[in-house]
Amino acid sequence: MKRLLDHTTVRRVVALLLLLALWETASRLNWLDPFYAPAPSAIGKVLFSLFAEGQIWTHLEATFSAAMLGLVAGLALGIVLGFVAALMPLLAQLIEPVMILLNAIPRVILAPLFVIWLGIELASKVALALILVAVLIFFAVYSGIKEVDQRLVERVRTLGGDRRVLIREVYVPSVTAWIMGSLKVAVGFAFTGAIVGEFVASSRGLGYLLQFAQSSYNAALTIALITLIMAFVIVLFAISEWLERRLLRWRYV
Amino acid sequence: MLRVRNLSVGYGAEPVLEGIDLEVKTGEFASLIGPSGSGKTSVLRAVTRLLQPLAGSIELDLEPNDIGFLFQDDALLPWRTARQNVALGLRIRGNAVKEAENVADHWLGRLGLGVFGDRYPRQLSGGQRKRVAIAQVLALRPKLLLMDEPFASLDAIVRTRITQELLAWVEQEHMAVLLVTHDLEEAISVSDVVYVLSQGPRAGIRARHEIPIPRPRNLLETRRDPCFAPLLTTLWDDLSAASVTDDSTQ
Repeated sequence: MKRLLDHTTVRRVVALLLLLALWETASRLNWLDPFYAPAPSAIGKVLFSLFAEGQIWTHLEATFSAAMLGLVAGLALGIVLGFVAALMPLLAQLIEPVMILLNAIPRVILAPLFVIWLGIELASKVALALILVAVLIFFAVYSGIKEVDQRLVERVRTLGGDRRVLIREVYVPSVTAWIMGSLKVAVGFAFTGAIVGEFVASSRGLGYLLQFAQSSYNAALTIALITLIMAFVIVLFAISEWLERRLLRWRYV
Repeated sequence: MLRVRNLSVGYGAEPVLEGIDLEVKTGEFASLIGPSGSGKTSVLRAVTRLLQPLAGSIELDLEPNDIGFLFQDDALLPWRTARQNVALGLRIRGNAVKEAENVADHWLGRLGLGVFGDRYPRQLSGGQRKRVAIAQVLALRPKLLLMDEPFASLDAIVRTRITQELLAWVEQEHMAVLLVTHDLEEAISVSDVVYVLSQGPRAGIRARHEIPIPRPRNLLETRRDPCFAPLLTTLWDDLSAASVTDDSTQ
């Protein structure tokens, strides 16, 4: 048993199970008010019924579509703008102040504006996720290129490499490391954008369901949805980590 | 092969180096020694166009592709294997990937790294990384090799071994070399001619000494050559005088 507990994952799972058991016991002994903190078993039942009755799928599809489209588009936009700004000083003078401004404000305040511009359907949620991710990735790429190891740049130049070779052999691999370092945060940002967008105005999605749960004071549904979102983000984190280990193999050998 | 005339180099308004004249002939091994901060590295950077001179000229009887530059740091791409790092210069010069990697394997083998081709730089020791960097440069068959204290970070035994191997290659290939070093014994052991720089800023060539030790050379045996000790004393005196003179004028 002691040897089993030496594993970090096992320790974490045991701690989580203990917490859930304590919570469940406290609820059954009426130490906790189920209106505010329903028992884990009650939350589990809500989660089960969401899937069993099939009503969750359309909401999951809406949130996932918005988050994933926002993530992919945000990554693409952030990478392109980061490269353009880092390699073209004149354009950097235009792009950098805008990005600094967008980075300085809580970008979710743009959600109402996107609803006005793009409506309450998918596009406004994608736009919010996109802007959250793009600013983050822009700075990862921009800093990645600006702070690239100059010894490597000079090395490639003395071997005869031109700008194209430098981008391929030095900048892209160097920036990939920076992007992978920000990818987990970007995944979280994409879901934040999608769900906050749904919160503001939508007809479906996990944010819409959360808004409904909150307005009907349904704590069990609220916690069930939060648990669901956390579970999906953990899965996406694991995928990001796997991707990082594949793309940055040289770091993990 | 390389003629530097009245070269001035600086990073701001004030030159680090001023009025530098030096020459490296075909098959000649020249060293540039001087105190720290005298701008030794700047000469090499100017020759390879990494640094724009403030004044003067650099004449080369060869194409830019015929110059190899061995840096102080091994500066290998961490995301490329040893083989890919060695093949990089060949690929840049238009060789197909397979062909370039075959040549890279050949050079890694010659430098005793035949089984390390698939390893990334972080999986190699300092000496092995340095050998990969040497293979990367030698694979391009340069006619002029510029070296900036390339082995300074290595321990004495590895350093002597690698320097000896490189010296053998240079002699065999009849390569011209310009080595920047602050190690007087190394400069005498490997060079045909040694240039002494004064203390910067506005450093200049204070002296030029021919080294009459016959080739091929063995690094350990050159120290027993009758002219080694007197040359070492001369170089030491030159450097000391340069530092004292410059200190007194500052």
